[in-house]
Amino acid sequence: MPNGAMSGLRRRSPVHGLDRRNLGPVEVLAQSVSSAAPAAGMATVPAIVATSAGTATVWSFVLATALAVLVGTCISRFTRRMAAAGSLYSLTAKGLGPAAAFASGTALLAGYTILVMAALTGAAIYLDALLARFGWRAPPVVGAVIVVLLAALAGALVLRGVRVSARIVLAVEAVSIALMLIIFAVLLGSLPVPDPDGGASAGLGTAAAGVLPALGAFIGFEAATTLGVEARRPFRSVPRAVLGTAAVVGLLSVVAAYTQVAGFAGRLGGQPEPVVALAAARGAPWLAVLLDLGIATSFVACTLATANALVRVLFSMGRDGIAPRVLGATHRRYRTPHMAIAVALPVAAAVPAALLVAGVPGPDALRILLTVATAGYLVGYLLVCLAAPLFLRRIGELTPAPVLVTAVTVPALAVACGAFVVSALGGPVPVVLAALLLAALGWFGWLRMRRPAELAAIGVYDETSAADVHLGRLP
Amino acid sequence: MTGIDPLPLSGRQPRAVRSALAMLEEVVAAGPGVTAKEISAALKLPQATTYRLLNLLVDEEYLVRLPDLRGFALGRRAARLAVPVAPVPPTAARAVVDHLRGLVRWGVHLASFVTGQVTLADPDPDHPPTEPVFLARYPHASALGKLLLAGQPDWRALTRDLRRFTEHTVVDGTALDRQLRTVATGALARQCGELRADRGCIAVPIRSPIDGTLVAGLALAGPPHRIAEPNDELVELLREHAERLAPLLA
Repeated sequence: MPNGAMSGLRRRSPVHGLDRRNLGPVEVLAQSVSSAAPAAGMATVPAIVATSAGTATVWSFVLATALAVLVGTCISRFTRRMAAAGSLYSLTAKGLGPAAAFASGTALLAGYTILVMAALTGAAIYLDALLARFGWRAPPVVGAVIVVLLAALAGALVLRGVRVSARIVLAVEAVSIALMLIIFAVLLGSLPVPDPDGGASAGLGTAAAGVLPALGAFIGFEAATTLGVEARRPFRSVPRAVLGTAAVVGLLSVVAAYTQVAGFAGRLGGQPEPVVALAAARGAPWLAVLLDLGIATSFVACTLATANALVRVLFSMGRDGIAPRVLGATHRRYRTPHMAIAVALPVAAAVPAALLVAGVPGPDALRILLTVATAGYLVGYLLVCLAAPLFLRRIGELTPAPVLVTAVTVPALAVACGAFVVSALGGPVPVVLAALLLAALGWFGWLRMRRPAELAAIGVYDETSAADVHLGRLP
Repeated sequence: MTGIDPLPLSGRQPRAVRSALAMLEEVVAAGPGVTAKEISAALKLPQATTYRLLNLLVDEEYLVRLPDLRGFALGRRAARLAVPVAPVPPTAARAVVDHLRGLVRWGVHLASFVTGQVTLADPDPDHPPTEPVFLARYPHASALGKLLLAGQPDWRALTRDLRRFTEHTVVDGTALDRQLRTVATGALARQCGELRADRGCIAVPIRSPIDGTLVAGLALAGPPHRIAEPNDELVELLREHAERLAPLLA
């Protein structure tokens, strides 16, 4: 066995070309936090959750946080043992095999692409709103121009490498979270009656109904898994970033939900701009400017972080041979997947720009895009949780705890997926999802016929290469 | 617990430290490819503890997981746990180095890279080189060290402290990275007063004729302003001798 084990060693890593082992823990954390965009979520998600959960909204967020932490735990089973660039699909491949990995890959590819579109739309909407507060009602084409400019900026920064973009993203996201904390501190300080009983009386069922929309605040928290190859200490920093983000986003969301539920005394559901309304009611309309700025910057950071993740998924698919191989190319100087950037960002900018120019109201476009993206993420989370114990069994390291976590998480996510399908019936979302599903099936069929070997070997990651092993002599 | 990162081990947990060391020994004894389950059985440790400690040792790069993700082997960092012993060059190789010494007026040094460090295998007795400990510890500042680093997929794994010795020492990671890429493409390393202000050095790699791996380096040491010149003939002479040394050292 020993010799057999060593004969599998490659001369160089299959993900060579990326800037290996060069990112510190803070940069890795920034990727996950920004992709989850907690500041934007704090202002917008509680009102959506409240339509299903009413006064139990806070408890919905508590449950969603627990679920996100459990998903993060499943992801960390992999990321403590392997360093990949392809996000959850590279991980799923090691537990569930090629077909499920392909499903996860296409779901996440759609999820990431559409989240970039949504983030660009969101940034455009709130920058527009900011302009409007200063008295300029911009025509829709301005929104489209903002989208294209932001996408170009994001493309340049993503090309320049995570080191640069992570620092910018971290600064931007820190500013927006700080703005949100100021806003919520002001609002909490002026609350008339502190009403700690969010909805314990409303019952678990009501709280559960709000879990799916509450999960929307968390999507993107797994984005650090795309930096496995580039992190200096991936086995430590990636799991910490994913779990830490789940916890931080959970905490911020609970604070935000509590403030808004208490502020509206139980009538939060369906408020179009809850925080602005609260601010106006407390005689602090200047908060609205801060709020728009905070949400817009959070969306900008989310665009950058999610674009970073998206191009690395495409890169991995190129290296796996299930997408055009040219996508697996890297820039010689910046050591980033420049071909994937050149393909992905124009597409991600074109769709929201076209929607805005065509006169689709910004908030509608944002809601549709976010809903479709959420579907992709949910599929990715479900599959990776299912894969975790199978992966551990395959490598002979299974203990009872991972089985227990999966036994809780997979049914919960399956229920969330089911609830999602029901909630999305009607409107354009099912049509878009069906089209994406057909495209994925067609792609899968083509791969089965033309590239069966590549499909079977899916799941490229940063393997130990000959140079990493100490043999008492140079290999 | 549900597998969230366990608390870092503190110095007050001697059993964990003992177990971790025993695991390293077990991986050496059982050979590369040994699985977590086998290690747990051999050391009679609980499985969950074994997996947690193994992940920690992988995280610290003392161990690596092999591509099947099941088997473990010693990582590069484990090499630092033992004093590296470079093989003594055979007489035929020494004769080649001596021949070169007869042709040039500068110091001629042969260094081995097989331990993953710069180890002087045949230093020039008439022109004593820099303290061997410095060469081994600060490869970024010597020509032989630059050769070694340029031959690595990730040179950062072999450097700990980019210390400044003179005003010429390259201590910036990005600048060093650029320099090492030039070294790799030109198969020639040069430093002018980076380690000692009054000494410069040019070095060429010696590669195994079988698989092309970097095994050693041959260096000429002299005054820095002379080293900075192109020295085409000297480099040619150095390459000729390096080529003759290759089959003798591989």
